[in-house]
Amino acid sequence: MNKWIRAIGAGLLVAVWLGLAGWLWFGPKTEFSDAERRPLADAPELNKETLLNGSFMKEFESYTLDQFPMRDDFRQLKSMFHYYVLRQKDNNDIYVEDGYAAKLEYQVDQEAVDHALKLFNNIYKRFLKEKNTKVYLSIVPDKSYYLAEANGYLSLDYDAFFKTIQDGMPWATPIDITGSLDITDYYYTDTHWRQEELFDAAAALCNGLGVTAPKREEYTRVALERPFYGVYYGQAALPMDPDTMYILKNDLLDSYVTALAEQDPKTGAVSYKPAYESVYDLSKQDAKDMYEVYLSGSQSILRIENPNATTDRELIIFRDSFGSSMAPLLAQDYRYVTLVDIRHISSSMLNRFLDFENKDVLFLYSTSVLNNPGTNFKP
Amino acid sequence: MIFSSIPFLYYFLPAVLLIYFLVPRVLKNTVLLLSSLVFYAWGEPRLVALMLFTIAVFYGCGLAMGQSRSRKWKKVWLIVSIVVSVGLLALYKYADFFVSSFNAVTGLSVPLLRLALPVGISFYTFQCLSYTIDVYWGNVPVQTNPISFGAYVVLFPQLIAGPIVRYSDVAQELNHRTHSWDNVAQGLRRFLLGMGKKVLIADNFALLMKLFRESNGQSVLFYWMYAIAFALNIYFDFSGYSDMAIGLGRIMGFHFPENFNFPYISRSIQEFWRRWHMTLGGWFRDYIYIPLGGNRVSKSRWVFNTLVVWMLTGLWHGAAWNFVLWGLLYAALLLLEKWVPAIHKMPRVLGHIYTMLAVILGFVLFNATSLQQCAQDIKCLFGFGGLPAITADTIYYLRSYGVLFLVGIVGATPLVRNCANRIAHTKAAALFEPILCIGLLLLCTAYLVDGSFSPFLYFRF
Repeated sequence: MNKWIRAIGAGLLVAVWLGLAGWLWFGPKTEFSDAERRPLADAPELNKETLLNGSFMKEFESYTLDQFPMRDDFRQLKSMFHYYVLRQKDNNDIYVEDGYAAKLEYQVDQEAVDHALKLFNNIYKRFLKEKNTKVYLSIVPDKSYYLAEANGYLSLDYDAFFKTIQDGMPWATPIDITGSLDITDYYYTDTHWRQEELFDAAAALCNGLGVTAPKREEYTRVALERPFYGVYYGQAALPMDPDTMYILKNDLLDSYVTALAEQDPKTGAVSYKPAYESVYDLSKQDAKDMYEVYLSGSQSILRIENPNATTDRELIIFRDSFGSSMAPLLAQDYRYVTLVDIRHISSSMLNRFLDFENKDVLFLYSTSVLNNPGTNFKP
Repeated sequence: MIFSSIPFLYYFLPAVLLIYFLVPRVLKNTVLLLSSLVFYAWGEPRLVALMLFTIAVFYGCGLAMGQSRSRKWKKVWLIVSIVVSVGLLALYKYADFFVSSFNAVTGLSVPLLRLALPVGISFYTFQCLSYTIDVYWGNVPVQTNPISFGAYVVLFPQLIAGPIVRYSDVAQELNHRTHSWDNVAQGLRRFLLGMGKKVLIADNFALLMKLFRESNGQSVLFYWMYAIAFALNIYFDFSGYSDMAIGLGRIMGFHFPENFNFPYISRSIQEFWRRWHMTLGGWFRDYIYIPLGGNRVSKSRWVFNTLVVWMLTGLWHGAAWNFVLWGLLYAALLLLEKWVPAIHKMPRVLGHIYTMLAVILGFVLFNATSLQQCAQDIKCLFGFGGLPAITADTIYYLRSYGVLFLVGIVGATPLVRNCANRIAHTKAAALFEPILCIGLLLLCTAYLVDGSFSPFLYFRF
């Protein structure tokens, strides 16, 4: 009897095995991974050269891994085994605590930090030093600042990290926003902070800049219809609920015009072309990264125009993605707030687009970007 | 191609097994030969010619020995096979080691050859040598069928990581083997067990070792975690591969020799080497140690024999001085155990502690990338590296990998096997077994698929 049960069991195993193999061989192919936000490998070209140099074999392996049926489900199975059976505290350097998914980043990448400081100092020396600018620095702590150490995860020495950055930019006045934030100000499934929870941090920045801070009661928050699956949702590969993304609305924000910098290729003259109304690009709700709703995501130079500004002051923000949701909250007193992303424009070309004379300048960067060897600040 | 990869699991293996079981018996070895050449070419397309040359040399030498009437000519053909195969091994695996050592001693700059190491060359060379030596000794008949002989040499289940299957182990089954559903079921079960050991346990320990090397928070305790993790990693990796090979062989009707027998329960180094990589130990014993005279010689000659065998054992594992020293360390310990019988009379616990300490420290030497790194590792293990006893990193990884260490340590003992054997004949076990196998297949697949996890760095935009 047992022999028959075993034989049937083995048959079942073979059926599952062959079923998966058949699905992999003949099943539909997927072009893009939403979880990893990258295109998936396509079938490699088979010819004499690729066979002999071994590139076909290497690429074929990538192709089979990327195109494996139910790939995200298998990744979830692995994550669950990793977390719940082996009781490992992180999976692919992602950990989940109190419902928040975060990345385990605890070692300083000195090379990345040095590279960032070198570029920031070059910018200061070339464009800011002689221009009567007021320069400020604020570092956005990543989620682990509030989550890691208290819950037994490896944590960056944030005090030392902040000091390194501040010491490397002695010409910038630091504005500390760490005390104005807590973990609830961040999304559960994403690396970013929530715009609707930024009033305290915005107030700290506005106080530092000497401008009027936004008042929570003057804004209404509007939930976007689509659920927000943040970047860690896919990476954690655990059953998590998506976030709800809100945008802030009021008459002041509605009056803002967001414009993109354009340079005439013949004359070299720079003009700003309105990109969309207000400060939200709602078409980005369908983008791979929904956070691009804020100021349309990553842009080299972008300007918020405030027609109701009570002064002619201008603010230039050197920023990463965290700045997209924060910048509109700083704009109340400024005529223009210009956001510059030097990962998309060479920092040596900035004077072609920007006049720094008498401007307020804020360097607003997250620890994750400053401490990341993959950050491509352009010299 | 490696067993624990999606191309092998879901393309190569199903396709080969389908064809293998569909073709008539007379063509099965042809399928094995051709599929094994494809398997080899997948990782080494340009070195297939070398493999074919090796097969031709040994096949020819075997045939020539069979036709030689005098012992003298048999010996000539044996020597030809040894010179050619050891020569190729020396050229591809050891030439640069000898040249760089020569350069270091003489201060000269003789250029290195930088030849690509053919995968599995140490395994298939020893397997081929077992054939011609056994033919010379008259232990096995000459294989006259080139297809069968080629299939033996390049047989994909044991081609790249053993066990070292001697020709005599499978001579009979090369021509006459039984295929049955029972063999398939047992083979699949053994294969999946091995894959689980490799993918779920060994690879996770490998990750911890990588994290250890990258960490800025090393400590004395972290060094010990690393050393134990490597000992468990190499055991589950190697024995997992052996299980997979044995399982694949069984599916196709072969009975390959066992390669591991819970070595970490040993109470002496002698016992350890009776349980660890048994096919290699057996090969050196039968083809080197005993022909040199074994222990039935003078004491000095016996010491010499022991040193030669263990230096060669070390060199077999890799062309670097740390492997030579690793082999000689075992020679020293084995000589010590012979000369100090009290070691064998130690209480069980002490014997076990002594053996594991020697094995773990030996593996630290084994895994070092240089002698300097080895010295540094040993210093740090014993608190002379200027490191704190414990750090936050150590605590974190100890907590994160605690269950895996427990699984690894328990899994390295016969406890699980004994429990499984006790319930093996029950209906519950019969029902549970396929569920476990399917679970292992899916879980290992999940780990392999997640191995491709590569988030776009730009996610931070």
